[in-house]
Amino acid sequence: MRTADPTDARERARLELLEELRASVRALRSELEQRFGIRDAGPPEREPSVEIEAEPGVGSAEAAAGLFEGLGRQLRTRLDGVDVVKLYEALRERVSIPGAADVSAEVDEFGLDARFLSRARGWLDWLFDSWWRVQVTGIDLVPETGRVLFVANTAGILPWDALMVAHAVERLHPTGRRPRPLVADWLATLPFSQSRLARLGAVRACAENAERLLLADEWVIAFPEGQKGALKPFRERYRLRRFARGGFVPLAARLRAAIVPVAVVGAEEVYPIVFEPRLLRRLLGVPIPVTPTFPLLGPLGLIPLPSQWRIRFGEPIWFDDVAPERVSDPLYVNRTREQVRGVIQALLEEELPRRRSIFS
Amino acid sequence: MSARRAPRSVEPRPTIAITGLGTFTGAKIAERLLEQDPPARIVGLDLRQPRRLEGRVRFHRVDLTEPTADSIVAEILEKERCETVLHAAFFTDPHPDLEYSHELEVVGSLHVMNAAAAAGVRKLVVTSSAQVYGPHPDNPNFLSEDHALRPPHGAHSLRDRVEVEGLLRIFAQRHRALVVSSLRPCWIVGPSYESAVTRRFEAARVVTLLGYDPLLQFLHESDWLDAVELALERDAPGVYNLAADGVLPLSTLLRLAGKRSLPLPHPLLQRVAYLESIARSGDPPGAFFDYLRFLWVVDTSRARAELGFDPVYTTKEAWMSFVVARKLRGYR
Repeated sequence: MRTADPTDARERARLELLEELRASVRALRSELEQRFGIRDAGPPEREPSVEIEAEPGVGSAEAAAGLFEGLGRQLRTRLDGVDVVKLYEALRERVSIPGAADVSAEVDEFGLDARFLSRARGWLDWLFDSWWRVQVTGIDLVPETGRVLFVANTAGILPWDALMVAHAVERLHPTGRRPRPLVADWLATLPFSQSRLARLGAVRACAENAERLLLADEWVIAFPEGQKGALKPFRERYRLRRFARGGFVPLAARLRAAIVPVAVVGAEEVYPIVFEPRLLRRLLGVPIPVTPTFPLLGPLGLIPLPSQWRIRFGEPIWFDDVAPERVSDPLYVNRTREQVRGVIQALLEEELPRRRSIFS
Repeated sequence: MSARRAPRSVEPRPTIAITGLGTFTGAKIAERLLEQDPPARIVGLDLRQPRRLEGRVRFHRVDLTEPTADSIVAEILEKERCETVLHAAFFTDPHPDLEYSHELEVVGSLHVMNAAAAAGVRKLVVTSSAQVYGPHPDNPNFLSEDHALRPPHGAHSLRDRVEVEGLLRIFAQRHRALVVSSLRPCWIVGPSYESAVTRRFEAARVVTLLGYDPLLQFLHESDWLDAVELALERDAPGVYNLAADGVLPLSTLLRLAGKRSLPLPHPLLQRVAYLESIARSGDPPGAFFDYLRFLWVVDTSRARAELGFDPVYTTKEAWMSFVVARKLRGYR
């Protein structure tokens, strides 16, 4: 047998709590109505039971749980009146990161989705102007006609530099052409990124693709450092890695495309890679670079650092007067490759001291 | 479709032998050739005669898995004085009995090749598949006919097809007088074509791979039959990729079809697929899902230039024709 007194005290406490919560619900409701004009849809069909059957012996914790359940139900009936779709649409208008709703039913043969890209422009502009405050020099050196193959240094796990160089050319070059960046193979195995990159115009880096693009009169951006460049550790930033197989030289020479060296300063600081564990790569088959934020903060760690960028276009290298038989000469190809690499390295060294710090 | 081509010559048409008369391609091509003016003479080889072709073709019951099938087929080809052989005796679905399917597809093809050479046939057309290239992350965006054939791991039926392609290449080198063409269509869709692939897309919820959205191509069934007819009509030795114009991401295709997708993470799907393959003792469907993961889009410029291939339907139109036909038939 329970004594009456403690039960009564508990009961009283419970009722007080209940009254308090009811008052706060009322306040919340009137606030909601005032601010958002959510009309009261009349009395709900089933009265959400905020009442709790006074069962003796039930602790206040259970009562509170029941109360919250009732509150949740009430809130849900309130929110039924809100047009979630319209709200979402309004939000999407403000934030211009393209989402699943922005894809069109047409893509070009490499997967570029014009509608998706135009939706992304606002966001790319924002990255260009505000996030990285990109300063572009030498854009007037880029030829206006003919085939052009941009060759740039690369860093950063995700191809932000590719997007920004393409964006710089599109925005600042008089032709307004958007070159197609070639992105590293391993991004093709990386879930989620591949389809978005393709919609933004990126193409997997391989000789066949580059040739097809150039023949289709597209401008192309190559990053011959490849994966070695994208994953180079922070302490080796702005030191160009070996230019892979350098297939870009014979390609440009054969198709008479001008090679425009591009130095990108700033992209090498967006993900300061501390190290890249070999074991993890062997285990997972995908390189997992470790940055101060990346695996630690999960997806948040993928937010690139807002370093200040400078993109410098160099003097184009022409192949118009190169004899066809030299194109297949490996020594010539190698020499030209190293020459391009030297030009980019020199441009980098010129541009680097022009920033006061990596953020300004 | 044949109306848009120039009127055919009136000279007596050569006799065409079709192995696998009961398959979609075999039966439809036979019907098309019979509707020509003057109708072609068709010799059909299969285990069973399709009922709608009864009495219209000279049918011979041949089991290509028999050890002496080559001499049987050679005898028929010689007796009927066939000039052209269309070899279409392949499964449209991976067959659960791996051994039987290997016997039929590889050894059967070898029998047909040898019989064709022995009977002095002038032309051999083989229906292959663009799936033999295999989906790989390092595929170029457009695969040419010279690209290496790398079927996905564990896909026995595709390994068989690749073997057939290899045998065919050797055969063509050895018999230079014989016109050998191999057609590699990408996924065929249309109102009536049915395969393991179309059934996957008929499901109420299409299983896709989480995070992957490859560009896909399709070929409309009538464009496919046009291409086979072209190969039978013209002397175009070699291998030809066949696909419609245009590529579309998988997600866009499903959206156009009004289908819901069920994106599953790849490791999970592989395990499920593995269990499924144990239960059905056939090809692991995991091999199929690789085709929804990586790129395997083909370049059709050779077929356009040398075969005169000119598809009427784009990828989108072919897909929509498939979707609409299935919707009318009450699939969702």
